[in-house]
Amino acid sequence: MDTVTITINGRQVDVPPGTTVLNAARQAGIDIPTLCHFPSLIPIGACRLCLVEVKGQRNPQPACTFPVTQGMEVQTDTPRLYEMRKFILSMLFSERNHFCPYCELSGSCELQDLGYRFGLDHFLFETYTKPFPLDASHRHLVIDHNRCVLCARCIRACSEIAANHTLGLGNRGAATLISCDADAPWGESTCVSCGTCAQVCPTGAIIDRRSSYMGRNRQLDRVASACNRCSVVCAMKVAVRGGRVVRIESDWEAPVNGGLLCERGRFEPLHDERERVTEPMIRREGRLMAATWDDALEAAAEKLRGAGGADLGVAVSGDATNEALYTAAKLFREDLGASYLGLLNRNVPKLSGRSGTLADLATSDLVIVVGVDLMKEMPVAAYLSKRAVDKGARLIVVDDGDNGLAPFASLTVPTSDIASAVAAAAAAGRPVVLHGGVTGETAEALKKIADKASFIAMQPGVNAFAATALGFNGDGRAAGTKVLYMILGEQTVGQVIPGQFTIVQAAFRSPAVEGADIVLPSAVWSERAGSLTSTDGRILKADKAVEPAGSAKADWEILALLAQKMGKKSLSFDETSQAALIEIKGKERA
Amino acid sequence: MKADYDTLLKEFTPEQVEKLKEIIERYKGKPGGLIPVLEEAQVSLEYLPVPVQKVIAAELNLPLSRVYGVVTFYSFFTMTPRGRHTVRVCLGTACYVRGGKAIAETIEKLYDVKEGETTADRRFTYETVRCLGACGLGPVVVIDDEVHGRMKPAKVKEVLNQYE
Ligand code: SF4
Ligand code: SF4
Ligand code: SF4
Ligand code: FES
Repeated sequence: MDTVTITINGRQVDVPPGTTVLNAARQAGIDIPTLCHFPSLIPIGACRLCLVEVKGQRNPQPACTFPVTQGMEVQTDTPRLYEMRKFILSMLFSERNHFCPYCELSGSCELQDLGYRFGLDHFLFETYTKPFPLDASHRHLVIDHNRCVLCARCIRACSEIAANHTLGLGNRGAATLISCDADAPWGESTCVSCGTCAQVCPTGAIIDRRSSYMGRNRQLDRVASACNRCSVVCAMKVAVRGGRVVRIESDWEAPVNGGLLCERGRFEPLHDERERVTEPMIRREGRLMAATWDDALEAAAEKLRGAGGADLGVAVSGDATNEALYTAAKLFREDLGASYLGLLNRNVPKLSGRSGTLADLATSDLVIVVGVDLMKEMPVAAYLSKRAVDKGARLIVVDDGDNGLAPFASLTVPTSDIASAVAAAAAAGRPVVLHGGVTGETAEALKKIADKASFIAMQPGVNAFAATALGFNGDGRAAGTKVLYMILGEQTVGQVIPGQFTIVQAAFRSPAVEGADIVLPSAVWSERAGSLTSTDGRILKADKAVEPAGSAKADWEILALLAQKMGKKSLSFDETSQAALIEIKGKERA
Repeated sequence: MKADYDTLLKEFTPEQVEKLKEIIERYKGKPGGLIPVLEEAQVSLEYLPVPVQKVIAAELNLPLSRVYGVVTFYSFFTMTPRGRHTVRVCLGTACYVRGGKAIAETIEKLYDVKEGETTADRRFTYETVRCLGACGLGPVVVIDDEVHGRMKPAKVKEVLNQYE
């Protein structure tokens, strides 16, 4: 049987077997109040607000956990249910401190919304007088147990989404508290600061320090974006108010990182205090002097016109967008014939074998991590690996030094013993290999499972996948060129080579900027539209969330303007995106 | 995670640690092993402080937060050692007005303990209670199963000295 038919409030609904009453009702557009339920988490039926009457069942049942059966008759809105829900809510309001005016979540709190909905204009029971503790030991997050309704969403998010299991319940009855590890202060616990718990908390119990009291939910605009801090390229939503980024959230719908971000993606950009480059500059009589865009671009164009292909080099950092890489490749490689096309990050060559995506981790029964410390470099890939372990997959870490995933591995071996990892993979059903740069012997050993395993090269450069596809492979030597164009983006790596004429496109001050001859201010991730290609070949789009600092411009736009100055054809943003996509995907297939 | 048995030697004897290993070994890899391990461990070690919970979590491959949740949920488990004797001071209304509070304060000062704690030499675990139903004898102190009525602060030491 493909579908089950049930009636909800007299209406027929067809749903697949196994659907919960709640989801069946939602599918039919019937709203049932919930509190502990969260779509991406396994329901536990803790709060009982979703109680419904099921014909034949003596007591009301929680809709969020109750599965449908053929012919079931459900009522979601009887006077009895209304009274029960109101009673439960009154208890919740009285159990701890819910004096809303002082709460960060007031105005966008799920508990408060329910209170309004059920007409709770006063406390029906005596409120709790004993204060509960507040833990502010975490560098990004605060938990105020006085606002907690013990829905356990945070615990489930920490376990099911982040696979970190830091949060749990301590004690029992009225003394029950959310606790970290064995009651450790949050800031000293095993928490990895992914922030997922804060994103699911329905009340003001878990809040993040940075965005608190900076605007109610409905005063914030949400802009789709993509993290440019590592090559996982997590999809995210940027909460913006008054032209400023207030908070970064994960995108629950995202196919790979759905719900997840790491500390670097969620919190670091909000604390970036590096000094910006805000206006174009030209070196005059030894000093960098402010200039107009027109003058700076003209000066750059003149220099480029004068340099022959052999004298010309271009170096890109990993975080350049697909659009910038495409425009740079067109201009420097095709039009100007530059002799050096460099990538400022190390490039990890793909091992021969079936290319996989990080989504494969969800169905894998064996994961080999070799030559890369994912916990440090690509945290969300590490969390996804841990999630696979929670589901029963074996994790094998191949590393000669410390590796952040080693404590979760069923086997940790030195590279000299790659053979045992390969042997295990050969016996597995759906092995996945996440690799960094490896030696020739290791690559050779892994060839044995080339047909069987999904291979994913974990690039240290954010957009290195696209950079490589577009020809930035580091062939040739930067030092040999007379004019070097550096697309630094948000990176502060690299230095100028004495005697070389250097044009730098950068968002932040750095030694390379200080030594450059022409500086073009570049927008940061939140200030530009653009797409990035993840290390497993997914293309993620970011919209512009806020205006650029000073007169900075998007990385691709600077290159397009430069091309125009040089009399070359330049494309619109959409055309560039499209052309880049075709070239990146085309190269991948070839 | 590697189980750290060595730190346990600060609080427990090598025999106790060996016993813990033996208990864990019997349940390792079996589903539902956590509660029996905790029960047996408590019998052998008398109490289950965080380092013991860490070892059990590591060996049974469970999150520490889960082990802690179970230990604190069931009143049978305790994270602090019990003393050889339990001293309960009644602070119910009758005892309180007759000076129960002063008795409690005297014990706290003399033995450097707070409510619910155990003395450093593990001689006494000190608790307060609300009414033992012996109001006529107030203020009352109960040591193990013996009731001592009409207590006075000056008598505290003498009475407690009867218990080694
Ligand atoms: S921030 Fe992440 S790891 Fe830390 S407690 Fe929350 S969900 Fe768990
Ligand atoms: S902290 Fe928030 S998410 Fe966690 S149980 Fe309390 S109310 Fe629920
Ligand atoms: S894993 Fe990488 S892409 Fe994802 S949030 Fe962290 S730094 Fe950003
Ligand atoms: S939403 Fe169903 S019990 Fe909480």
